[in-house]
Amino acid sequence: MTMDASDDARLSALLPRLRRFARSLAGDAADDIVQSALERALRRWDSRRDDDALQAWLFAIVYRQFATEHRRARRWQRVLELFGAEPVEPSPSPERIHEGQAMLAAFARLSPDQRALLLLVSVEGFSYREAADMLGLPIGTVMSRLSRAREKLRALGDAGTPPPRTLRVLK
Amino acid sequence: MNHWSPTEEELHAYIDGRLAAERHEAVRHWLQAHPGEAARIEAWKRDAEALRAGWARDLEQAVPAALQPDRVRARLRRRRRDRLGVAAGFLLALGVGGMAGWQWRDARLASEQLPMADAVAAYRLFASDTGRTAGDIAPDALRTWLRTHFGAAGDVPDLGAQGFRLQSGRLLSTPEGAAAMLVYEDAEGARIGLYLRPRTPRNGTGERRDGRLLAQYWAEGDTAFALVGPATQARMREIAPLLRGG
Repeated sequence: MTMDASDDARLSALLPRLRRFARSLAGDAADDIVQSALERALRRWDSRRDDDALQAWLFAIVYRQFATEHRRARRWQRVLELFGAEPVEPSPSPERIHEGQAMLAAFARLSPDQRALLLLVSVEGFSYREAADMLGLPIGTVMSRLSRAREKLRALGDAGTPPPRTLRVLK
Repeated sequence: MNHWSPTEEELHAYIDGRLAAERHEAVRHWLQAHPGEAARIEAWKRDAEALRAGWARDLEQAVPAALQPDRVRARLRRRRRDRLGVAAGFLLALGVGGMAGWQWRDARLASEQLPMADAVAAYRLFASDTGRTAGDIAPDALRTWLRTHFGAAGDVPDLGAQGFRLQSGRLLSTPEGAAAMLVYEDAEGARIGLYLRPRTPRNGTGERRDGRLLAQYWAEGDTAFALVGPATQARMREIAPLLRGG
């Protein structure tokens, strides 16, 4: 764990984006995920690749941390269901679902891997190759999943908000 | 170019604005000729823009201090030190002290609720049995170990002026980290024990009788202390304030 002040500064500068990514996946549980991911990253600091890859490396760690937690939560949920508890679908917090944020509400209803992919590609601007590496998917799978994610987002968006109204000729 | 059509990847790249100018134009032309596809791609493009705008605000939120690298690193260091402490405590208590290690563990678990009950339990195991001296750690190694785990608080106090001499030391573990019991003996063979452990919210200041034993306890910084011995040892009342003072 040999780090210097400039490492800290770069890591610090990336925190808002890493948190946003985690929030898009895990809503209110995001900070726990980021914290575990940072611990993991700092423990393996020396094993990271070159500096250019730092961002991608960190985003990948956040995603893997989320995936692990998500699997654990699902297993726990199945146990609870055996005892008759209602299934709870974790989703980004409802507070952000207000007027003007209909897109985020629709986004929140996508599956976690669809959210991850769209956020990395459309919001963060990572290349398809980078996104594929981060999510551990072949590039072809990324393309087909991206199509499905966009299709579903459109469908959910259509259901939630009316499309922009254009003039219509009424005879 | 009549039979050319863009790949799925090219369509996404068009939406995300990642095509070279020439390719971009090619896709745009193709879309003009395919209104059905064009409507779908335009809608996806609008969605992507809305998504970017929607998530942009998120970056303005302040990052909690607990997530800053220096804080995360400090937490990692503390956890590693505690783990080492627990491992060392178990190794020493089990390997060196033989079954005393397990007795210690059971005694501690049974008496968790009372303040510094573990100190009394440790005294009972390691100090009250006058016959047991084998396996005690050498004074120098003990000093090094205490320094490592308790910093300045881990100085082995010299109680020579009070007539007590360091007789043995035991390294133990608690769920919060490493602990140690220093056993002092006077010329008549009376024993008192100074117990150190990581502080928890329950470790206050006070004293407590436990059977024939008296435990005086206090905390300084991150370390909780207890001086344990037979309640009949009047000198303990003088020693505890001395230890507490410095």
